[in-house]
Amino acid sequence: MKRKKNGEMTFIQKVIRYRVLLLMCLPAIVFFFLFNYVPLPGIYVAFVKYNYRDGIFGSKFVGLQNFEFLASSGKLLTLTRNTILYNIAFILLGNFLAVFVAILLNEMRSKWFKKVSQTLMFLPYFISQVLVGILVFNLLNYDTGFVNGILTSLGLERWQPYADPKVWPVLLVVIYLWQQTGYNSVVYFASIMGIDGEMMEAAKVDGANGFQRIRYIILPSLKPTIVILLLFALGGIVKGNFGLFYNIVGTNPILYETTDIIETYVYRATMTDFNFMTASAVGLYQSIVGFVIVMVVNYIVKKIEPDYSLF
Amino acid sequence: MKKKLLAVLLAATMVVGLAACGGGSDSSTSDSTPTEDTSSSDDASATDDAATDDAAATDDSAAGDDTTASSDDPWADVDTSEHVKIVYMTTGDAPSGDKLANYEAVMEQLNAILTEKVNAELETNFISWTDYLSNYNLTLARMDGTVDLVGTASDWLDAWPNSKNGAFLELSEDMLKTYAPQTWATVPAENWELCKYNGEIYLIPEDNYAQWTNHGYIYRLDWAREAGLADGVHSWEDLTTYWKYVREAYPDITPWDSDGTHYAQMVSGWIGSHSTFVPIDGINAGAMWGGTKEDLYTVYSPYVTETDSLVEYAKMMKEWDEIGVWKTDVLNNTASTNRDDFKIGKTAADQHHTQTWTGLCSPKDPSNKIYEDDPDAEVGFFYFGEETKNVVALSITHGAMAISAGSANPERALMVYDLLRNDPDCYKLFNYGIEGVSWEMNEEGLRQQPEGYTDEKAGMVTNFWWGRNDDLEIKSAQTNWDAVDKLYAEYDGIKIEYPYGQFVPEVDSIQAKIQNINEIHTNYMKQISFGKYSGTAEEIVAEYQQKLKDAGIDDVTAELQAQFDALYK
Repeated sequence: MKRKKNGEMTFIQKVIRYRVLLLMCLPAIVFFFLFNYVPLPGIYVAFVKYNYRDGIFGSKFVGLQNFEFLASSGKLLTLTRNTILYNIAFILLGNFLAVFVAILLNEMRSKWFKKVSQTLMFLPYFISQVLVGILVFNLLNYDTGFVNGILTSLGLERWQPYADPKVWPVLLVVIYLWQQTGYNSVVYFASIMGIDGEMMEAAKVDGANGFQRIRYIILPSLKPTIVILLLFALGGIVKGNFGLFYNIVGTNPILYETTDIIETYVYRATMTDFNFMTASAVGLYQSIVGFVIVMVVNYIVKKIEPDYSLF
Repeated sequence: MKKKLLAVLLAATMVVGLAACGGGSDSSTSDSTPTEDTSSSDDASATDDAATDDAAATDDSAAGDDTTASSDDPWADVDTSEHVKIVYMTTGDAPSGDKLANYEAVMEQLNAILTEKVNAELETNFISWTDYLSNYNLTLARMDGTVDLVGTASDWLDAWPNSKNGAFLELSEDMLKTYAPQTWATVPAENWELCKYNGEIYLIPEDNYAQWTNHGYIYRLDWAREAGLADGVHSWEDLTTYWKYVREAYPDITPWDSDGTHYAQMVSGWIGSHSTFVPIDGINAGAMWGGTKEDLYTVYSPYVTETDSLVEYAKMMKEWDEIGVWKTDVLNNTASTNRDDFKIGKTAADQHHTQTWTGLCSPKDPSNKIYEDDPDAEVGFFYFGEETKNVVALSITHGAMAISAGSANPERALMVYDLLRNDPDCYKLFNYGIEGVSWEMNEEGLRQQPEGYTDEKAGMVTNFWWGRNDDLEIKSAQTNWDAVDKLYAEYDGIKIEYPYGQFVPEVDSIQAKIQNINEIHTNYMKQISFGKYSGTAEEIVAEYQQKLKDAGIDDVTAELQAQFDALYK
């Protein structure tokens, strides 16, 4: 094989050389191509008055009319704010807690205890949001709820969370953390495992105690992982967790002030008239905002620490 | 460094990917929950009951036999040499187990007849109640010939939006005359007019089947008597008395275990009972626009104009909430089984329509355990509009059949429909099942369940609510006809026909406003109808009406008026 100057290979040569690696990537490439790139032209449906018989590209072009309902509701700002604030809370607290738990798991000496606690924390992730919604309702409802049962038997006054919008930001974040932390900590736990054992040994020999080892070795080694996971999460910051909100808050308008996110609002507004166009319009809005946020954050990260940026 | 980063990145991608998938499936299951509730509480599943309970009598047989026996083969000239499969799409859960076996046996017999007469066989595409409207519309949107016959409805299955979307085939008069001759002959010309959009017929109406789906409260008449209401509940104030009594006399019972989805029916019921408002179907779920009995074609929205009445309503609902008519967290109560509880005497009321009541008031229906447990039990019905004699008959397109525009064999589909609707053998098979297995005639010529019948074994699932025909109906022996006929006669004395059958609103230009109005109406009416608002009744109503105005309700009214003027003047 002929090589170009300074050992660079041609494209074909690279393909042949890395064929095994490429083959391993293939499923993912095909997946993203099929499900993320092929349907892209379908975005056009957000700009037409869709007619089944004429198809997406034969339907009448109506410009931004499909965006009108979201804009004219006067709620776009509140909804976007709620969605973003909840997601920030989820991302920051979620990652913080996940790192914390991963470190704790790493420090545990009893293997048995480590496995049991990991499994217990992992379990809630596999409970369907629908069931979580039912569990929460049975814990918190006014007439027959578990919490209120305890309160009354202690002679205290009943608590009515389903009529109090203020408590829900806290409740929702707690429920989210309960469900996700065990799962999220796995990635961090794995990268702690990947830290060079010699470094730890050396630190021990030099007399670093447990806290110092965490502060000066584990945390800095986790930094790239944290940054990347944060960047990934930020891309979806305008996309709300529909399952969580819908199943737990339901369609109780008393609580909307603090719990209504873009997804739940759109679901309610378009459920009655099965509107592809408006739904796509909202999806497009979310994607664009998400895209802008990722680009900006990535740019900032690149300025500060080029190694950690995504691209 | 780079390599390790890459590894972490890979791991992260996997987790993100997994999380994304997990999230996706979660939300799809959650989608289903709410609609399930709605279906159990609105017209859809009520029609479920309606299917088994036949409607009022007609003097039938002679006329029926004439039309069905008119000619040997109306399709002698039609080329049916190729055997085709016609798929019929209906709302309803697909059968399983014994029910499936029974369904297959029925279809085998039916298909033998269909093959002989029109060389076609029928298959059913069930749209299950979970998330039915979305699945229904999605199936239609496929347009690949998956379905031919489509059961539809202008008020609860988006018949007009789908006609406009191009989902349904235009049915020319020639087509109908040639391929559905009996149906064409029995549906009067003025009824075909009501099935037209832009001059084209899209729907075949179920216009020869008497049923009432006007809403009201179903309650225990015997308990109302105990409460001092000697001849039952006849007004909203009577209901208040009734609730109070039930709460005191039967403290273990939740008078009405609502799931929080009845807000729109309640407030429109209140308005019907306190005015002569006649709402227009098919604009939004709340049916917030309409005319009055005296002046049908001047559009207004009582939700904006009837301030005093709404304030009174808000106050009464607050009172009901304080009485404890429903559970405290009614707006999050998704686990209610109110109707089943009513049948066993664990709740005292249900809010639904007349058809549902005809089932619940019948002691011979074995699922109504109350009559076994309590020989005095009686079930009454307070219909909305009783005070002002404001009752509107059902639109003939509450059930209708359409042909999918993607159908490969629309002609044969029409022929099959013509048989299902008009041929006595096909009709009985398709609606009631096999005689002797799913039903039998008693001495009085009424339809009853054979011995050993259970719904699990031989219940019918075809849900043919798009072409029932009183000429061929056999009345059910189970229904309490004395009570039902009495109420139907009362309705017939005061009813007006649905006046806006010909009006198909063009909402493209006002769609965004209607969506926002829907949202406001839902949010405020949930709070008002279940007495969950804070502040005074006057304040909440004023706030609600201001929001409606800000969302442009007056523009919508004006636009509808313009369309009315174009149509009716």
